[in-house]
Amino acid sequence: MIPFDRALSNLVVTEEDTAQITACLQRLIADSGASYSMVLDRAGQILAWESDSIRPEMQHLGALLAATYASTREMARLLNEDGFRTLLQEGLREKIFTETVQDDWLLVVIFDHQAHLGLVKVLAKRATTVLSGILDLVRERSMQANQTPRLAQVRKATTDTIDLLFKDDSSGTKDPSSK
Amino acid sequence: MALINVAAREIHGKIVYYGPGLSGKTTNLQYIHSRIPAHTKGELLSIETETERTLFFDFLPLDLGKVHGFTIRFHLYTVPGQVLYERTRVAVLNGTDGVVFVADAQRDRLADNLQSLRELAQNITAQGKRFLDFPLVMQYNKTDLPDALPTPVLDRYLNTIKAPRFEAVAVTGKGVFETLRAISKLVVNKL
Repeated sequence: MIPFDRALSNLVVTEEDTAQITACLQRLIADSGASYSMVLDRAGQILAWESDSIRPEMQHLGALLAATYASTREMARLLNEDGFRTLLQEGLREKIFTETVQDDWLLVVIFDHQAHLGLVKVLAKRATTVLSGILDLVRERSMQANQTPRLAQVRKATTDTIDLLFKDDSSGTKDPSSK
Repeated sequence: MALINVAAREIHGKIVYYGPGLSGKTTNLQYIHSRIPAHTKGELLSIETETERTLFFDFLPLDLGKVHGFTIRFHLYTVPGQVLYERTRVAVLNGTDGVVFVADAQRDRLADNLQSLRELAQNITAQGKRFLDFPLVMQYNKTDLPDALPTPVLDRYLNTIKAPRFEAVAVTGKGVFETLRAISKLVVNKL
């Protein structure tokens, strides 16, 4: 496992990475009978997802799950544990099973009574092994020199967009000092 | 850590509003949510106590639209400011790309501001990042109140690192979007 560079500021996920991750999730869903699966980073951002239906609430769910997992990591520290590797939330109709992938990502599986929890756990474990290999490469590539030459253009255009969208509608005093 | 998803043509950044309790972090997000164009924002999610104090976090997803083929998304979070929730703040700070420190400009809150800022620096450093290089914007909120300290005094105590800083009255929106523009640009320039 490649040690994580905690100063890493960008994570770059290519089309090939996404295709491999998505294929892994597709297999997980097909074999387990789950309805939705996704991979999140520690900030709660969705790297890839696979589902049998459109679920617009997943953006918020990702944020909640990542924060919840980060919260359980703090709990583990208080208990002198390395961490809690899995999380299970059971509702009346659906369950959410979350497993860590190398401490930096989360595999999330949502399923109903048609899928068996034991099978979901076993298959999720298998998926995390596959995902671990893929995400190692993502991390390694991200640590190298910037692979996206268009970013400079994106940066400039984005700052223009920010000025346009986040317009002031009330006055404020700005400090000219900067870092 | 900003996420650049080449396949999905998306760039994601996480911005956290940090500061002592009742400094105006949630008010900032509420104002942004109330003013920003509808097609740019998602639902504002707030996990709070019965007395409307932030318990876990507030979450506001923003979609800036397509820029050179990439969809730019920012996720804004706040942390609970009360002393009791120190560990929760560590959890919410996970993976953050930029921080807005919302200080309460009132005289009797200076010690709380300092304690919170000190804690932020420790938490950022514990994530393996250099605090001095980290995208940070200071906001001095409640500058309209009669016992608010003068800005030069706040600068002397709170902004020795000379981060960009803005005076604000978040309940009216003064300084809110200036602050958001500044931190968004700092995060984008780190890409």
